Amino acid sequence: MRHYETGVIIAPNLSDEEIDQQIKQMAEVIASMKGNLHREERWGKRKLAYPIKKFSDGYYVFLHYESEANVPAELERRFRQSDQILRFLTVKKETGQRRGLKKGKKEAEEAPQLGESAVEAAEEKEKSRDEEKTKVKESGAEFKEREKDRDKDKGKEVL
Amino acid sequence: MAKEEKAEKAQFKRFFPAKKKVCRFCQMDVREIDYKNVDILRRYVPEKGKLSPRRTTGTCSFHQRRLAQAVKRARIMALLPFVAD
Repeated sequence: MRHYETGVIIAPNLSDEEIDQQIKQMAEVIASMKGNLHREERWGKRKLAYPIKKFSDGYYVFLHYESEANVPAELERRFRQSDQILRFLTVKKETGQRRGLKKGKKEAEEAPQLGESAVEAAEEKEKSRDEEKTKVKESGAEFKEREKDRDKDKGKEVL
Repeated sequence: MAKEEKAEKAQFKRFFPAKKKVCRFCQMDVREIDYKNVDILRRYVPEKGKLSPRRTTGTCSFHQRRLAQAVKRARIMALLPFVAD
């Protein structure tokens, strides 16, 4: 069993009842071949991006269902025979589990490693920083002492 | 002439470095792009109805592939034009 989504454009010159009948027929086909109709999306009349069979409007319907592969095949066979169906498109729906799982696993594996190495790196950085600081302090102290010496020398010279 | 232009461009780049573009689908954490989402697809097919390249939109390759697939499906269903003038 797979998830499919079939979109259909029905001719705009049909009455509401005829459109309802068309959709009912599709649902019956799905039901008769042991499919599960999950959802039926009706967009209603909508302007087409380009004319199809000299129609500038179309009635959009999308069916979401779960079934074996013979159901979309049968639906499409019927669509091809009918003049009232302007366009149809069946899309296999990704369940998304496979990819999601893979990504989740990768993250789970990589994340702790990354975290540890990052913490370690941060600690090392801090250590090196501290060392630098102490160095700076020491050099500063030395500098001050030297200055003192110089001052002393200067004083001597002046004296 | 050409040399001057090149120098000008280089200068321009130095003073106004290109802003780094980020894939908007990655930011929103979208996995699949649906062909029925015409409003989103419209942003990536300007004027002539051609799909804009990655270098202008900043979309990552993963999402650009999905986007191209979605636009092509939308064209079949007459949600987007094949050619617009």
